[in-house]
Formats: sequence, structure tokens, C-alpha cells
Amino acid sequence: MAVRRPGGGWHDYMKRVGFLVAAFFVFSLFPISTALAQVPVRMRVIQASNVGQNVDSSLKDVHHELGSLFNFTSYRLLREENLRLSPNQPVTITAHPGRFMEVTLVGLQRDAAKLRIRVIREGKDILDTQVRLSPGRTVLIGGPRHGEGVVIYAVSARF
Amino acid sequence: MKNSCSSVSTLLEKYFDQEITDEERFLVGGHLQDCPACRDALKSMEELRTLMRVPVEEAVRKEDFPWVWQKIEREIRLQRKRTWWQSLHSWLNVTPLLKRKVWIPAVATAVVLLFFSTQIIFKKTPSYPDVSVVEYVESQSDNVMVYQLDEPKVTVIWLFEGPEEDGTTT
Repeated sequence: MAVRRPGGGWHDYMKRVGFLVAAFFVFSLFPISTALAQVPVRMRVIQASNVGQNVDSSLKDVHHELGSLFNFTSYRLLREENLRLSPNQPVTITAHPGRFMEVTLVGLQRDAAKLRIRVIREGKDILDTQVRLSPGRTVLIGGPRHGEGVVIYAVSARF
Repeated sequence: MKNSCSSVSTLLEKYFDQEITDEERFLVGGHLQDCPACRDALKSMEELRTLMRVPVEEAVRKEDFPWVWQKIEREIRLQRKRTWWQSLHSWLNVTPLLKRKVWIPAVATAVVLLFFSTQIIFKKTPSYPDVSVVEYVESQSDNVMVYQLDEPKVTVIWLFEGPEEDGTTT
């Protein structure tokens, strides 16, 4: 024969309500927190030179900016990467032969992502910088020699 | 008042089986004190029961009915083994009344949480200050220049790499 605790029904009822609310809360917030922790970053490696007058069609959106800043006649997209950066987890890509670029999300505010960008050549930091980018903004890092011209890295935060 | 044997005899079996009310027991007990015939009838019943009980109990003792117990135990086990869904359902289903009471606040809380979380998630981003700030820049080997333009809003970090520092920029 089952023995019923006095007030056990109410106790069970509250326990079950609590369980359902907690379960909903956990399951609803889990994907949100995961999504918030990552920042999409678009990285483009562009070769700029004065050989020819070609501009890659994929660079149309930045052609105006490049043209107003630099005196090169040709812009060629060497590589494009769409990264999803997690806090303090560096992502390394081969920027162009002999050089690596390491990008790390070091901070995330409501209006800006803080990125540390290192360009490494033969184990040495030829560039180490930290930038704060608001959504959609781009920072251009240029200068390293490549073939007849130079390489320009376009790093954009897209969140 | 004295009761006749015919009226008591119908109660005698019930008296013998102890299935009689207090009032009837009092009635039969009083009659038995005065009636040797009915006492004999009761005694016969007791003897008959004794005669029957001994061989029946002996036969039962010899039989242990193992297959019956096995079947019963198997049935009990089958009833105990429930699927996870049945367990969850019974866990949630305290009583029909409580069942409704559990779901109403749970659903209400879920709706409120969903409302506020969607407000946060889909809140239209206000005009954030457009920033692209270089907090620091350094190079172990080459000279570096930071260049920021207002129109277009672009930030350039230029590295003067190599032995010759011929700024090809801007």
C-alpha cells in the first residue's frame, strides 16, 4: 500500500514546474549563447600591382576604396576565407607563400570586436596589431611584397 | 424467546464459518445452549471439516506449483518494465487536475521567456559608432604606418617590408 506524505502533491507539483521551466531555459539559451560567442570574419588576400589593369570581379565592393588609397592598377584576389572566430582561439591561415596570418578574437563588445592580427614570416612577427572593428568595418593591412607587387589583407568583422 | 431449530439451522452454517452478525451470533449461541440436536449438528460440521482439511492440506503440501509462480513472476516483471515514454508520462501525469496545473505555468513561463529572448535577439541594432580603431601595432623587423581616412572610412596599416623602404602607398 502506498503511503502519501502530507503535502506531497504540492511538493511534486512545484518540482515538476521547476523542472520544465529550467529545461526550457537551458535548451532555449544554449544555441543563443553558442551563436553569440562566435564572430564571423571575412578575410581577403589581395595582390596589388602595376602589371596590367585587371580588377577581380569579386573585389568590386572594395575597388573604390583601394583605388582612392593606392596607386596600383591591378588588384587580384589570391584567397578568401570566411572564418568564425571564438574568443581567444587563434586561427592561422597561409596568407601567401612564406607568410602566415594569425587572427584571434580577444574581445567582443556590443558594438565592436577586438581582433589581434599577427603576420608571421620565418617564425618572426613582421606585424603584430590589435584592432577594434564595428560590424561591417574593414581594416586593410598591406605592404608585404609578393611577385611584382604587394599583398593587401582586407579583414572585415561581420556580426 | 426460544428459537426453533428450523429457524436457527439456516444460520448454523454461517455461524460455523464465522460469517454471522453479532446479533445472529447471540441468537444462535443462546439456542445452542438449550438444544443438543443443534450442538450435534455443529459438532458434525467441525468433524467433517477436519476430515476434509487433512487430505487437502497433504495434497497441497506435495504440490508446489512451480510453473504457476514462474508465470506470476514473469507477469510482474513485464508490468514493471516500462518504456521511457511511459515513465515520463506517468511522471508528468500526477492527476488530471495537477497535470493541467503543471502545464499552465510552464507554458506561460516559456512564452514570457520566448518573448523577452526574441526581443533581445532580434532587437534592431542602433546606429553604433562606426569604428575601426587600431589599438596598437608593432613589428619586429620593419617600419609600420597607420593611415586612417574619413572618406571613405578606411583604416590602413602599411608595412614597409624589405631592405628598401619605398612606400608604395597613398
